[in-house]
Amino acid sequence: MVKQILPKNLSEVLELISKEKYRFCAGGTDMLIQNHNLKTLPIDFKDNIIYTFNLEELKGITEDEDFITIGASESLESILENKITPQILKDTILQMASPAIRHSGTIGGNIGNASPAGDLLVPLYLLNAIVQLQSLKGIRSVLLSDFITHVRRIDLRDDEIITKIIISKINFDKHQFVKVGPRLSDAISKLSFLGAVSFHEDKVIDLRFSFGAVNITVVRRPEIEAQYIYKTKEELKNSVDELLEKYSEYIRPIDDQRSNKEYRKTVALNLLRNFIEEL
Amino acid sequence: MKVVNNLTHSVDGLGILKGRAAYTDDLADKNSLIVKVLRSPHAYAKIVKIDSEEALKLPGIEMVLTHKDFSRVPFTRAGQGYPEPSPHDKFVLDEYVRYVGDEVLAVVGSDLAVCEEALALIKVEYELLEPVLDFEKAIDHKSIIHPEPEAHEMFPIGFEPLRNIAASYHMHVGDVEKTLSECDVVIEETFFTQAQAHVMLEPHTVNARMDYQERLVIYNSTQTPYHMRRIISQGLNIPLSKIRVIKPRVGGGFGGKQGIHGEMLVAYVTYKTGKAAKMVYTRKEVFESSYTRHPMKMKVTLGADKSGVLKAIDFHCLSDTGAYGEHALTVFMVVGSKVLPLYNKVDSVRFYGDVVYTNHTPAGAYRGYGAIQGNFALESAVDMLCVKLGMNPIEFRQLNMMKETETSPIFEIMGEGTAGTAMIMETCKLEECVEKGMKLIDWNDKYPSKDMGNKIKSVGMAIAMQGSGIPYIDMGSATIKLNDDGFYNLLVGATDIGQGSDTVLAQIAAEVLMTTMDKIVIYSSDTDLTPFDCGAYASSTTYVSGNAVFKAANDMLEAILVEARRILKSKEVEFDGVLFTNELGETISLIDLSNEITYSEDQKQLSVTSSYVGHKSPPPFMAGFIEIDIDKETGEVDIVNYVSVVDCGTTINPKLAEGQVDGGIVQGLGMAMFENVQYSKKGALISNSLMTYKIPTRVDINNLTTVFVDSYEESGPFGAKSVGEIGIDTPPAALANAVYNALGIRIKTLPITAEKILLAIKAKERN
Repeated sequence: MVKQILPKNLSEVLELISKEKYRFCAGGTDMLIQNHNLKTLPIDFKDNIIYTFNLEELKGITEDEDFITIGASESLESILENKITPQILKDTILQMASPAIRHSGTIGGNIGNASPAGDLLVPLYLLNAIVQLQSLKGIRSVLLSDFITHVRRIDLRDDEIITKIIISKINFDKHQFVKVGPRLSDAISKLSFLGAVSFHEDKVIDLRFSFGAVNITVVRRPEIEAQYIYKTKEELKNSVDELLEKYSEYIRPIDDQRSNKEYRKTVALNLLRNFIEEL
Repeated sequence: MKVVNNLTHSVDGLGILKGRAAYTDDLADKNSLIVKVLRSPHAYAKIVKIDSEEALKLPGIEMVLTHKDFSRVPFTRAGQGYPEPSPHDKFVLDEYVRYVGDEVLAVVGSDLAVCEEALALIKVEYELLEPVLDFEKAIDHKSIIHPEPEAHEMFPIGFEPLRNIAASYHMHVGDVEKTLSECDVVIEETFFTQAQAHVMLEPHTVNARMDYQERLVIYNSTQTPYHMRRIISQGLNIPLSKIRVIKPRVGGGFGGKQGIHGEMLVAYVTYKTGKAAKMVYTRKEVFESSYTRHPMKMKVTLGADKSGVLKAIDFHCLSDTGAYGEHALTVFMVVGSKVLPLYNKVDSVRFYGDVVYTNHTPAGAYRGYGAIQGNFALESAVDMLCVKLGMNPIEFRQLNMMKETETSPIFEIMGEGTAGTAMIMETCKLEECVEKGMKLIDWNDKYPSKDMGNKIKSVGMAIAMQGSGIPYIDMGSATIKLNDDGFYNLLVGATDIGQGSDTVLAQIAAEVLMTTMDKIVIYSSDTDLTPFDCGAYASSTTYVSGNAVFKAANDMLEAILVEARRILKSKEVEFDGVLFTNELGETISLIDLSNEITYSEDQKQLSVTSSYVGHKSPPPFMAGFIEIDIDKETGEVDIVNYVSVVDCGTTINPKLAEGQVDGGIVQGLGMAMFENVQYSKKGALISNSLMTYKIPTRVDINNLTTVFVDSYEESGPFGAKSVGEIGIDTPPAALANAVYNALGIRIKTLPITAEKILLAIKAKERN
């Protein structure tokens, strides 16, 4: 029999996880599917579970001059509706799942789940999100791209819990999120693309791309992006073939039930090309 | 008309919204034993040994049923006419399992948890056999799927089980090869369609109990309650008189419930133990272990002269019926019989081919029933011929298609499983449908396509026909009873499966009896209480059962007039639905009349029963037009608008008729571009959940424009033909034609996914 705990506060959680291994269930939109079993409704967990949905310490969206901090248990819908949330995140959430799932699914859950097709990860990678982890030993902050190590694998110790997600406040001149799915709503991505760019006096001062569902985790290559800083818009447009060539190496999708690798790769690069050509 | 063709609320909508117990499982005995099936993990295997000793020790486990518990009586699960045109190739349980998901055995226990526990304790040894997974290689494959000697056909259907052929068929008019050789322009193309799933909301559900007269009472989510009763009686050797089948409200069927699923096992358990029992399919079972649409390969050869007159159609079809042959021949024949007459002016036409067994989930009835497959192939091919002719595809259709007062020799040659019935098209408004549809989609402005930068807009179209029941086979009947206080009971065998037939049939009765809907209490589909009806399939209910209600209501009208004449002592009595008046101006109300004959004088129960069997099957027709935007970067298709212009005769209930067409269009678009059926290499269905099998949602369907043309079919009730299936037929071809009009790319395998479009664009660029 597994333990199922509904803790009152974060310190109770930290206490529990310091002694024994637990998994966390936030909105449950993936956990419940992964453990669903019709004979023992509602759910048949294989591990000890801590439900985190009522922990006030994991809630809240706040900002200071440079950063926006989002509590790990904030639902996608509440992030979408919050005035502080940058448009780039809202654009992504709007295309995710169904309204019902958006009301349950959380940002912390989307990160902890570490699915290659996790849509929210795409803007979070682009925004250099930092994941804040807490244990009895203290607080640890990790760059999201380091935190997710592989398909469904994260750098979370057994005594730690994700508490906050911190993103820098950046406004881009232009950004574009495109989700390609088997239908328009309520579907897992075949792939997704996010491009963002800012200019100063016609020169690129910030350029970022991230791609979802085309590799083991989100593809973001800051070293490629850096090569185009201070180019003019025209120069950037003229080097689109070269840019595609560089990304091509990292776009390594798989064949699966939703799509195939040739389609995913072609479309990912098409979307990148389109973003540049339409600047 | 006051009720028919007027806005009338459905008789059950409010009660269902209020959550009244309505569906099969709502009505299950609370103490029902649970019947749970162990399903085959192998595509083809022989069961060598079953060890259920440990499972039987579990408290709460009542029994474990294996093939040894059943006598070897082969039957077909298809609920169609009798004798059935489907081979008798299924046993309740067999020592062979023929697809992943097939029934190995069943456990019966007090609750689902103990049944699941028992299933995990049962050890089954299999001898694995080589499965047949490619239907193009099924004929004369070294693996024979039905080697058992008991399997048989009820009458000649081309059944050759030792060659893996469930049925075969051949027909021709004229000499196709000779005509083709004389044509100026000939095309030959091959098309493929997939094993679409029905995805009805309510899964297959059945429960049973013994009543105090020791009779077996089965509540069943079915489209064909009378056929169920007969098949269960035959399969389990229980006298027909001992069985009562009740069909409660059904949450969708689309053909998927035109067959037996858990009924045999549940009926057996209750009959054997005397205890109530039930089964509700999981969604995975609905996908893997019920029915699919028959996947098909269709080779179409068309020949025309230079002026664009179609001279010959040669149509070869290979159909995959999966592990069992339900509806094998009849679906196959509809590919021809409800598609080829669209082009009735050809000199010669041939339609032939085979239906083969494979080790996949069995195929069965599904809305469209072959016509959607045939329509995709023929209507795509017609557009391809037009390209070669250099002719506008609409002008080609206007020149060659069926018109009012015309006929086709195919009607007489091809029925469903047997010969057909000759008929003249007394209503066929196809020309008007095409013309109106062109205007509504703004064809002349949008055809063939418009480049809009990243996207390209285009239009495509197709025409279609269906039938209205099966002549000389489908029978419906109705009983009408007058009650005190002047209201009527309408008892029909017809089966409301969510399409609204209870409402439509009550409207027909109300109109004839000049009364209002609240005075007609309809009760349908209870084999003890309602008269026979073949069930809800083949677009038959409004036309066939509706005609029976029409007759019964007229008979009732005559019967109450007899009473009124007697009471008012007059030969001339007029009735307006409320009041009877004789020539002297003396009156009696229907309420008083009914009270008098019930309670006070010359008492009697007025009750009439009438039946109707069609002597023809007037086809509804439609023209479907799609407008799409294709994203050049992703190959994704946005459906901008779908225009349906339909000739279904009078719409008895315009809202329900529109709902039938809209639902058909969406389901057809699902098959055309969303519903990707995928199997593993070992033959297991991968797309076996709503996570992996995507049907379109509301946001995928931008706009549906559905209109009906004026049409009055003399032989139908108040001029009605059918409308249940016609909507599903055009989307695949219309979409394929629109994709071609946009990109010059012809996709001949369904579904038309973004992957196929994009890779075709790439291939085209490379060349």
